[in-house]
Amino acid sequence: MATPTPRVQVPRSAARGEVIEIKALIEHPMETGLRRDSKGELVPRKIINQFICRYNNEVVFRVDLHEAIAANPFIAFSLRATASGRLDFIWTEDFGAVYALNHTLLVD
Amino acid sequence: MTETTTAQDVTRRTILAAAIAGGAGLAGVAMAATPEADADAIEEVRRMTGKAATPSPRLHLAMPSHFANGYIVPLTLRIDSEMTDTDHVRKVEVLAPRNPINPVATFYFVPGRSEPVVSTRIRLAEPQDVLAIAEMNDGALLMTRAFVEVVTNGCE
Repeated sequence: MATPTPRVQVPRSAARGEVIEIKALIEHPMETGLRRDSKGELVPRKIINQFICRYNNEVVFRVDLHEAIAANPFIAFSLRATASGRLDFIWTEDFGAVYALNHTLLVD
Repeated sequence: MTETTTAQDVTRRTILAAAIAGGAGLAGVAMAATPEADADAIEEVRRMTGKAATPSPRLHLAMPSHFANGYIVPLTLRIDSEMTDTDHVRKVEVLAPRNPINPVATFYFVPGRSEPVVSTRIRLAEPQDVLAIAEMNDGALLMTRAFVEVVTNGCE
């Protein structure tokens, strides 16, 4: 499997109190554990099971993902811009691997 | 069993509701028109989660009514809430009752920080009512549903 590659689309700046939309995607097969390979063997489950967004270190949005989330999981969500600072985006895979990105948001 | 509305049940109001829903392209909008399907959905939630949820117009689950590819069905979920400390959504669970594994995702929100609006793409094994159950800050469980017809089984 290729290394999962995360990507986010976030505004660079926002007015205080404004609601901003964030689009997050990670390239990942989301192997459900239900699929059989060419020999008829079940391919073991390996999915991204959690996505978290921290805003100045506070968890402001979280998703628990299950098998029915499509491959290359895409999540669009909305935050209220309260202060300039750092956004962290963290994807956790089955067996504990973590993939992360961060972004600096300017709020005036 | 999922019973569809019979001809005698179709009133002018339900036709209008269906026409409006069709125009918007969103199956979820037609919810009020079919109380039998609501009862089925309530029962499905009870079967899968053991919880009793109440259908609510505050939840908006927008999904295409027909989508050929069961591997990537778009889903947008919005809950009407001011997201204040005293009135907010804690989490929303999405379930697919006709998938081999029912839970799809659970979204957690924080008052004053995140807005209860999300979009993603999901897999569906067969045509079914997708269900969304929101837990409010007072513990109330609100639900809605959206019927989606898929052609390819997205879970194989």
